[in-house]
This record gives sequence, C-alpha cells and structure tokens, in this order.
Amino acid sequence: MFLSLMRIIKFSLQDISRNIWLTIATITILVLALLSVNTLLTVEVLSRHAIDAVKEKIDISLYLKVDASEEQITSLKTQISQMSKVKQVLYTSKADALRYFREKNKDNPEVLTALRELGRNPLSPSLVIAPNNVEEAPQLINEIKQIDSNIIESRDFADNTVILEKINDITKKISEVGLFIIMIFVFTSMLVAYNSIKVAIYTHRREIEIMRLVGASNSFIYLPFVLSAIIYALVSVVIIVIIFYPFLGILQPYLEVFFMDYNINIINYFLDNFWIIFGLQFLSVSIISVLSSWLAIRRYAKV
Amino acid sequence: MIKLVNVSKSYLKNFKILSGINLYIEAGEFVSLVGQSGSGKTSLVKLLIGEEKVDDGRVIIGDWDITKISRREIPYLRRQIGVIFQDFKLLPQKTLWENVAFALEVCGQPQSKIDKVVLSVMRLVGLEDKKNRYPHEVSGGEQQRAAIARALVHQPKILLADEPTGNLDSINANEIIDLLLRINNFGTTVILVTHNREIVNQLKRRVIAIEKGCVVSDKEKGKYLL
Repeated sequence: MFLSLMRIIKFSLQDISRNIWLTIATITILVLALLSVNTLLTVEVLSRHAIDAVKEKIDISLYLKVDASEEQITSLKTQISQMSKVKQVLYTSKADALRYFREKNKDNPEVLTALRELGRNPLSPSLVIAPNNVEEAPQLINEIKQIDSNIIESRDFADNTVILEKINDITKKISEVGLFIIMIFVFTSMLVAYNSIKVAIYTHRREIEIMRLVGASNSFIYLPFVLSAIIYALVSVVIIVIIFYPFLGILQPYLEVFFMDYNINIINYFLDNFWIIFGLQFLSVSIISVLSSWLAIRRYAKV
Repeated sequence: MIKLVNVSKSYLKNFKILSGINLYIEAGEFVSLVGQSGSGKTSLVKLLIGEEKVDDGRVIIGDWDITKISRREIPYLRRQIGVIFQDFKLLPQKTLWENVAFALEVCGQPQSKIDKVVLSVMRLVGLEDKKNRYPHEVSGGEQQRAAIARALVHQPKILLADEPTGNLDSINANEIIDLLLRINNFGTTVILVTHNREIVNQLKRRVIAIEKGCVVSDKEKGKYLL
C-alpha cells in the first residue's frame, strides 16, 4: 500500500515536472480565482462590520421635561418597555446625563467652563429605546410618536435605517457581482485543469497504454493525475496565503483610519479563521480540479 | 484453455470483422493465427485481452468467461495474458531493465520481488548483459526480446504475440520464434498472430487461418495456405 502510494506520488511529480509550463498556467488561473474569492470575502467582512456599526447607532431617544417626576418617568418607561418591538429602554437621569456630558468633554476645557458658568444642570433626562429588530425601527418610531405624554419634551428620531438600507444594498450588489466573477473563475479553472490533465495524459499516452497492457490497476493509472490536481490546488492555496497576507497588511492602516471608532482588524480576522477560510478554499479547489481531471481521464485515458 | 463460442464482432453496421468464430485451444499449445491484413486477427487478440467486447458469443479463458468482464477485472485478466506487438511498445526513456520492471511496479509489487523476477526473465531472453541499455541502443530483435521479458514478468498462462517479427530481419525473427518455442516448452500457451508464411511453415505446429472474419482452416501441423 505504502509502496503503491510512493509510486503514485512519483508518477504524479513526473507529470507535473514534464509539463511545467502547463502546471504554471493552471496554478496561475487557480490563484486568480482564489484572489477574487478572498477579495470578495474581505469586502464581505468589512461591510458586515460597517452594518454592525450602523446598527449599534440605531436607537430612539425621548428627551423628557426637566421637571418630570421619577414616578411619571418610570410609568412612561414601563409603558414603552411593554411594546412588542422594543428590546430595552434605558433611563438616563439629569445627573447621569451631566456626568456623561462631562466625561465626553473632559478634553474640552471651554465647554466645561461654560457649563460651570451656567451654574445649573441644563440637560434633560432621557429614555433611550433600542428596537428588537432594526428592520422594525420605522414602525416603532410611528408607535412612539403616538404616545401621548406631557413629560416628553422632544423626540430624536434620526433615521439610520436609510444608511443601513444603502449599505445592505451595496453589499448585496457587491456579493452578486463577486459571485458572478467567482462563477467565471470556477468555470475557467475547471477548463484549465481539464486541459492540463488532458495534455498530461497525452504526454503519458505510451506509459498509460503499457500500464493497461501489463495489467496495472485502474486506480494506479488515474490516481497520479488526480494527485496532480490536488497538488495544483495545494500550491495555489499556499501561493494565495503568501500573497494575501501582505496585501491585508497594506490594507489594514487604511481600514483603521476609515473605521476610526470601531475595532476592525482584517488581518486578525483572516488569522483567527485561517483553517476555515483556506481549508475550505483548498477543499473547493481540490474538488474542482479533481472533478475536471476525472472527466479528462474518463475521456482520454480510457480507464 | 481458450474457448471461443460463436463469437461475432463488428465496428460498423452491416460489416462483421469477426463472424461466428468457434475455437478451442488447449493449455500449452503453440498456435499460429494467420490471415491477410484486415482479416480479423488483431480484433481477435483485442477480444482475448478484454480491449474489445464481443457482440455475440462467448470467450472463455480457463474457467473465466470474459464475455461480460467488468472494467475492474480487466487488469487481472491482463496479468494472466502476456502480449507482445510488432512495434515492441517499450518506453524510450527507460532502460531495458526499467522497462521490464515497470510492468511489476505499476502492479504494486515490492522492489525485492521486482529485482528477482526481472533478473530471471532477462536471463531467459538473453539480455542480462544489456539490461542497462536504452531501447535505441539495441537491435530490433533485442527490443522484442525485452518486450517478451516484460510480457513474462507476471508468469502468464498465455502469451499473445501479435506480428512479433513484423519489424525484424529473418535472423532476428528466427531468434524470436525460437524464444517463443522455448517459452511454450515451459507450458505457456503461445498464440502467434502473423502473416509470415516462411515462419509458419517452418514451425509445423497448429495453424488457424482466418479470412474475412471467419475461420477457414484449422489444422494440426498445418501450413500457411492462404
């Protein structure tokens, strides 16, 4: 068994070395296909982060009158909490609002001086309402608008859902275009792998003829070609790992600037998910190459 | 033992390359299969090694009915039937030794067995001293002997020689025939497919003549009469 395996590996390496330019062409196409897949994956990860960032900002603030009593506020909070579309309601008292304000502006002495000169707490208490589901935010806003309470001073309904919809839309379009590109590359990869194995079979036609003549098992005849296909896949994935990480290294500083307030590290994402991302890619490319090789063998090697 | 029962084969509609062939060849026989080009000799060889399938009839080798042989079984059949051809079918980038050893390598035999078997068949065909030469460095006769050595590595019960002397001069051709007779003396059934009248007549062995896909003559100690 081990001996047969070693001989299959030997024949496979012979295939590859005897058709070195064809091997290079095949691997180049596979690398390009993988590059498109990984670029799309990067875009997907970044857009997911962007959507999450926007989702975090989607909440509805109700500013309450300064003289509203605690009972009135608690009663309103309970009323809103009972709404089906509400996830949670956070109450920020006047004192809490002032503390947050000071904390936020601790590096801004002019604002703090102005606040001190005012001599009183000018901030209103507020209720911050988080929706259960971002998609239901518009309906929730409508329901909140209908609340009739004399302690509500103003309502901040800054509608981030429009931004979210736009991001979703862009991501969807990118995914669609990306998927189309990937399909083209998959098809091209299959054709190239098929032709590479076909040429390898042509180069080895005499050996194959003699193998069949002397009673070599079918698996011994086709396995070297299948193994060649797996080696193509492995080499392509190794190359993509080698070229993609430096590319991410170049991209990372720009992402840090763009997503300034959010902790996005695309390199870490690819490192944390290394085996899933590149393992799956290796598996997929292997399946594509082996399938193409199998078709070529069935047709040209008459095994 | 080889038995063909009412075997027919056609590649084109309405044209049978073999038609109603009935043959019985005993184990250990030396049989010459003669006929003009296109008479169906090579098609018969292809049926015997499982390269082609019959349209009608049955082909039995030993206890094995190979008429409906599966793809998986073909390699096992071919290890029992050695085949040599007019064009030798040697790999030019391998030495004679490597060519012979290749037949065992691809069947998964261990190196120790390969060394032992190859040495013995190389001795048998008289190529021991030329084992490290490449095919282009030896004569046609020696190339054919290397091909015979390769055909013998599995110790086949049957040796099919399809025009083995077609590319050889008379001296080399006679040497090959002598070698085939020697192999036959060991008990291997030899089927010599040829249209070389002189060789067949010298042999004085069983001769089966095929014409237009039919057996037209089958005689013990026969002559090439077509």
